[in-house]
Amino acid sequence: MTAVGGIRSVVVVGRDAAAWLSALTLQRAFGRTGLKVSVVAMPSLLQATDVYAALPSLAGLHALLGLGDVEVLGATSGVPFLGQRFADWNRDIPAFLHAYDMLRVGIDDVDFVHFWVKARAEGLKVAYEDFALGSVAAKQGRTVIDRNGFVGEAPIEAGYTLDAVGYVALIRRRAIQAGVSVVEDAVIGIDRHGDRIAAVITSDDQRVEADLFIDASGAEAVLSRGQSGVFDSWRELFGVDRLLSASAKALRPLPAFSQIAAFEAGWIGLYPLKDRTGVVAAWDSREMSDDTLINRLSTETGLSLEGECRVTGFEPGMRPAWSGNCVAVGEAAVALEPLDAVQLQLTHLGLSQLVALFPVSAEAMPEAQAYNAGLAAFVLNVRDFQLAHYRLNGRVGEGFWDRARSAPVPTGLEARIRLFAARGKIAQFDEESFQPQSWTASFLGHGLIPSSYDPRVDRISPEDQMARFRSLLGKVAEDVRAMPSVDSQFGAGA
Amino acid sequence: MTSAPLRVVIVGGGTAGWMTAAALVGILKPEEVSVRLIESDEIGAIGVGEATLPQMREFNDLIGIVESDMMRKTNATFKLGIEFRDWGFKGSSYVHPFGAFGKAMGGVTFHHRWTRARLNGFASNIEDYSYAVVASRRNRFDFPVKDPEAINSTYDYAYHFDASLYASYLRGWSEARGLLRTEGKVRQVALDPESGDVASLVLETGETVTADLFIDCSGFRGLIIDQALKVPFEDWTHWLPCDRALAVPTTRSEDFSPYTRSTAREGGWQWRIPLQHRTGNGYVYSSAFISDDEAASTLMANLDGEPLAEPRPVRFRSGRRTTSWRKNCIAIGLASGFLEPLESTSIYLTQVAIINLLKLWPRAQVDPALASEFNRIVDNEYDKVRDFLILHYHVNTRDDSDLWRHCREMEIPDSLREKMALFEHRGHIALYQHGLFSPPSWLSVFVGQGRAPKGYHPMADNLSLDVIIEDLKTTRQRVSDRVDAMPMHDEFVRDYAAVAPASAVGAAP
Repeated sequence: MTAVGGIRSVVVVGRDAAAWLSALTLQRAFGRTGLKVSVVAMPSLLQATDVYAALPSLAGLHALLGLGDVEVLGATSGVPFLGQRFADWNRDIPAFLHAYDMLRVGIDDVDFVHFWVKARAEGLKVAYEDFALGSVAAKQGRTVIDRNGFVGEAPIEAGYTLDAVGYVALIRRRAIQAGVSVVEDAVIGIDRHGDRIAAVITSDDQRVEADLFIDASGAEAVLSRGQSGVFDSWRELFGVDRLLSASAKALRPLPAFSQIAAFEAGWIGLYPLKDRTGVVAAWDSREMSDDTLINRLSTETGLSLEGECRVTGFEPGMRPAWSGNCVAVGEAAVALEPLDAVQLQLTHLGLSQLVALFPVSAEAMPEAQAYNAGLAAFVLNVRDFQLAHYRLNGRVGEGFWDRARSAPVPTGLEARIRLFAARGKIAQFDEESFQPQSWTASFLGHGLIPSSYDPRVDRISPEDQMARFRSLLGKVAEDVRAMPSVDSQFGAGA
Repeated sequence: MTSAPLRVVIVGGGTAGWMTAAALVGILKPEEVSVRLIESDEIGAIGVGEATLPQMREFNDLIGIVESDMMRKTNATFKLGIEFRDWGFKGSSYVHPFGAFGKAMGGVTFHHRWTRARLNGFASNIEDYSYAVVASRRNRFDFPVKDPEAINSTYDYAYHFDASLYASYLRGWSEARGLLRTEGKVRQVALDPESGDVASLVLETGETVTADLFIDCSGFRGLIIDQALKVPFEDWTHWLPCDRALAVPTTRSEDFSPYTRSTAREGGWQWRIPLQHRTGNGYVYSSAFISDDEAASTLMANLDGEPLAEPRPVRFRSGRRTTSWRKNCIAIGLASGFLEPLESTSIYLTQVAIINLLKLWPRAQVDPALASEFNRIVDNEYDKVRDFLILHYHVNTRDDSDLWRHCREMEIPDSLREKMALFEHRGHIALYQHGLFSPPSWLSVFVGQGRAPKGYHPMADNLSLDVIIEDLKTTRQRVSDRVDAMPMHDEFVRDYAAVAPASAVGAAP
């Protein structure tokens, strides 16, 4: 029933999450129309230590794929988390939580942050995050999703820490069950006609033809590298060029957040899983050698590492993802360090756009331009969200961090920072992965305190304001008490 | 950080000036702001913007205006959309509604299913699936219900009103809440030689008025933003060539429609706005293509009531200030830009400026970051409306006049060209949250002006054609049946918001 000239076949060339999520997504969205989806599966680059930390929005993709929390968490030793704790990014101020609150708290239509800014100037000592349900719940080890997949009523969302190997195995299994066909092989040649790919040639000289190709090969970008658009490197903006993956024993009790701790050359992340803790480091090779970093990991984290460590080189940036009849998805299109749980988000953003703009004709694909522009707008906002952590760091006197603070900042981020510094307001755009409450948590957490607040705050008397603060704190405490602990639901004993 | 009230002066008392004044005194407290408005009765308000958008209700609610009271005092009627006649091609008619077309099914937007059915032999008029359009066509009105499952929840409404009565209404409302109005003209604007801020205004009476913040609502002249601060005007005449209008009221017509009508003419377009006591009419045209006399005779020959006055001329230029908020001056309304009233956006753009000014309300020392954010938001709003207006002109196959040939052949903004190409190819309409016009609006204009898409989203193939066609038939019937149960628009207005008999005398046929 496909329209005349429509897409009848898609070949995904690649590996790991990007490849299998692409295949399953397209099979689920278009399989019933007769679309044939196949994967030329390259050898996995994952190792047993790898983790994915995913934003709450991954649940939206899972819903489209017919995957529920119980199945995903069960197959991946997975644990839901309510936010990320940023430690040591600023020397003089305590660690802060970036939690996934869904609602902005306000009083009479004025965002709570304005009341807090005024009260703080008048001597309030309670941190902003202690008024936020998500961060209080995270610090007290709570969860909104229980082990039966039941989602509580608290207006906060959970991200997911997943064992990468287990996750990819699950998605792969589901893709094959859904009807995706697989060729386990390497691509040794590409039959191109102009900007279009007619077929890829595998190592046993098979021609695999398709109307549309998906490049999900990761940084290698086997189909996209060297095509229409150049890779726009963000090396100048970010200092990190090395990534490490390792594993340590499970944390007891299980925390409800991942911890992202800055050190002199970058940051180290701890991601609690049911049976182990994923360890990730991202740093600047100019500041520290691989060996030094590995030797220091145990001291920095207080955990003894188990199994192998693997270090890879890394360069952030993006290329126009859609060129001719080939769409790059995941790291083949855009590379950002795994800060703020964005890895799967970048793949998810690409796939959402691809479903919305899935080509209707094998001959002409004017969708490419809108796809590339739309994806870039989302990605740049994600990038800026990451960059804000570096720009607003407070580790004075360390080369890496001094450079991060003074590196050029894209104008969009600069304007966001200035507006927040002036008035506690977050500029909003159409293509956002992070809601204003996330930006607010990050900006305040790094010590960017607005110099003025909404004048309507002054309408409420100091006594009335204190009463409202107390009632808000009471409500937060009450709501948190009603939530189960993440350890009771997902810990070793659960 | 509690400080003395900010001293604000509004220059100009048209719709923009009084809306700004009402919002400031209605929302901010006297401890926060003291507001003074300077206007001259000698300078007439433009007051041609008599049709509005649903967003205006949010504005009225925000400042606390009671709808039925406001409607009574402004001779208002309801508006469900705009009928466009002869746009695209002669003989055509479509309604751009304040409402949806059908509902999504299986994750597939309605119009993709409609397109698939159409390309497979089931041709039907897309208007039949829009509750607001069908109600408009049958001159019916009622308030939408809240239950999202109900077919009569799928639309929104706005007003037609007498904009000068609305300004008077807001004036009374504001003065009752302590606004200080000064009758007089501004003779001179004094700038601070060091900062470049506006320091004071000198009135013709000789009085010097100082303030922290100056709001320029002086209309096209831009008394402060243009004449004193020299902020450039970005001219969009090459995309929107109309630069003049003639306005004439007529007696109330039998055809008491709950929608505005816009009829394309040789040199522009004619509006028709039904009020309770009369009908507002006008011809917006391009002086490059027809003369004032031709415009006047065309207008007077195409009225459906007795003219109540001589046609009144208005001149304008499409475009906007490159910066609406400069230093301590904020331009609101025509002083900040002009887009012809084809989609009734004038009051909306004023409202956007006011609401964002309130959100970014400055202290005595204006932080430039606040102004930058204000300008970013206002620019985006103007750009979105601009592209939508250009679409109406550009998509046409009329061969009866130079204006239409020119508009068809002119270069259009890249943003619009890309949008049109994707719609034509596959019915794709990008969704954006910031800025006016949601996908149903774009859909109605594309299809109504003869550009139905050649393709549809492939997910529409996930459903069987029979299921799709059956749903189209059911939806069409549901809409039609429910609309027939609505009151007529004239009855509804009479019961809900009729003006007092004394002032209604002139409206008797």
